[in-house]
Amino acid sequence: MIPAAPRTVAIALLRFAIWIAPHDTHDWGHAMLNELNHVEGNWSALIWSLGGAGVLAKHAIVALILPGSHRRTVSTATELFEKEGPMRKPTLAVIAVCVVASLLFFVAPVFRQAFGVSLAQWHNVFDVERSFGYPRPNPELDALAKKAEQNRDAEALAFIAVRYPNAIQRARFADEAVHLDPTLNWVYAVAGSAYLSPSEIDRRVSMLKQWDPGNALPHLFAAQKIGATVTYSKEFPQGKLEPSPAWEKEMNAAFQSPKLENYLDRQSQLDRRVLSRYRLDDPFEAASGDDRHGFPNYGVWECSLYAESLLESGKSLESRGDRKAAFEKYWAVARFGQMMGDGAGFMFVMSKDMKEAYTRLGALSQIEGNNGAAAFYAALADQFDKTADKQRLLLRNSIQGSEVSQWNAFLVRLSGLLMLICALLLLLCAVGIVVRSRSFKLSSLHPSRLTLALGFGAAVGSLLSSAVLFVSYWPYSELLQRFLSKGDDSGMFELSAFLRDAQHPLGSRFSLGTWVVSSSITVFYFWFAVTILCALALAVAVFRHYQTRSRVHDAA
Amino acid sequence: MKTPRLSPQTLRVLERFVERPTAWRYGYELSRETGLKSGTLYPILMRLAKYSLLETKWVTTEDGVPPRHTYRLTPSGVELVRATFAQQRATLKVRRAAFSGGQA
Repeated sequence: MIPAAPRTVAIALLRFAIWIAPHDTHDWGHAMLNELNHVEGNWSALIWSLGGAGVLAKHAIVALILPGSHRRTVSTATELFEKEGPMRKPTLAVIAVCVVASLLFFVAPVFRQAFGVSLAQWHNVFDVERSFGYPRPNPELDALAKKAEQNRDAEALAFIAVRYPNAIQRARFADEAVHLDPTLNWVYAVAGSAYLSPSEIDRRVSMLKQWDPGNALPHLFAAQKIGATVTYSKEFPQGKLEPSPAWEKEMNAAFQSPKLENYLDRQSQLDRRVLSRYRLDDPFEAASGDDRHGFPNYGVWECSLYAESLLESGKSLESRGDRKAAFEKYWAVARFGQMMGDGAGFMFVMSKDMKEAYTRLGALSQIEGNNGAAAFYAALADQFDKTADKQRLLLRNSIQGSEVSQWNAFLVRLSGLLMLICALLLLLCAVGIVVRSRSFKLSSLHPSRLTLALGFGAAVGSLLSSAVLFVSYWPYSELLQRFLSKGDDSGMFELSAFLRDAQHPLGSRFSLGTWVVSSSITVFYFWFAVTILCALALAVAVFRHYQTRSRVHDAA
Repeated sequence: MKTPRLSPQTLRVLERFVERPTAWRYGYELSRETGLKSGTLYPILMRLAKYSLLETKWVTTEDGVPPRHTYRLTPSGVELVRATFAQQRATLKVRRAAFSGGQA
């Protein structure tokens, strides 16, 4: 009769436990194993075996820690590793268990994801161009692009258009997406206008204006294309805006627009749908949309410049007695600044201008005799610094990440590195044993004490670093899952910051006083050191070769 | 003579042995009678054997079935168990007397 699966497992488990157990407990192990034939029920047999295996494992561990506590009573010459003493088998068993347990971690998708994240630091080391910030091809995005084009999937094409490293391809994917689904017009705004020809920018801006007429964003893109003309001098170290009617027209339209939407919410929802549809679980792809602010590259700075010019013009109108026109100028600055804060959290960029606008509005209301409005504007001006500081802090946290995420990113990189080192050590030990014994047969393998100690350390290290990697990445996998399954993107900033930190090679980006060493400099020095070491090794090898040859020559 | 720590579980096992001191008992049989799992029972048996309170023997029961490990108390084991239970009974009497106001 073929035994049922639980009973088979029970037998195998107890046999393994007997194998690792000290010799003086073998009788007891066999006693438990033979009793299995009489245990009723397959699951009861498994429970019986688990209990017995636990007892034997405990004795094996005690023998390992206190070698004198279990002495050999029977000695058989044919047993494996007989000559090396009673410590060999438990040590080998612990090594095997640790290695198997470390490998079992890979069964969990979260761990595979964590391991992938821990390897990201090496991309910068082996792909030097990437470490200097050059856009690199992304095979996963290429594969997705191929699928999206085959399926004519507009949303997936929009997803790619926002992420693709090549600007020309990015523009093409955006066009294809909008062609297939005109409601995705907003992709033009999120994908940006960098490297596009002026006529192409005009085309996109006019499409955006037509599609979402009340939004200030297309005007900001148009203004950026024209460009603010600024002169720098001693009087105006921050730059003085020169008159430019076309630019001012677009900025005026932006400041008069009823809303400012950067479409990041739509992008977040689209990302979620595409990631779920194509079963993409790469956290880097999921979070790569979160480092965008949804504005033209110079848009925020240009808004501040224009706000300053409006305030200047308001003051000039005020001095000429045109308080109504001046009020409108100040009001436009305050209103647009609030929209920047509500839509994108960029209120602090215009903080100086907004505070001044509220102060001027309060002063004008006071002159007009509207004391209620004057008090209101004065209160807004007072609270303004706090609100702007809060936004500044939020943005800084979203870029740098919290201390916890920085610490976790460090742990992920460290544990990933340790796993690789331990795996390499284990491999070296295995090769060393085989070379020393000149055989692959288990019975003829004789590891030295040093090899065993190294293997033991590497196996335990591998298990511990796997556990640390799993635990430190787990919260971020939860954040990603929460976004994918529930659409909750509140943790995506934290995930982005964590992933950004995790990409820097361990030990890079440290500061020496005021000098901050960036990862690109560290990568440069890493390869410089590797090259020097290789050159030295080659020189030593050549020197020794000639030395040996001359000795042989002399002897002859 | 050194004796092992007599936990409630150990006492439960010893009780079973002392019922029929001369009979050889199987591990699974003891487990069922005492309700102890193998992970609890065998360390007790191993400890009793280590202190020479228990003797062990392999017996073949049927053809083709591996031999079974059997156990019974050694004379010193029987003596210890009887002494322990006698002491327990005495302690119990004293406690009962104390809690029932001196009427044993």
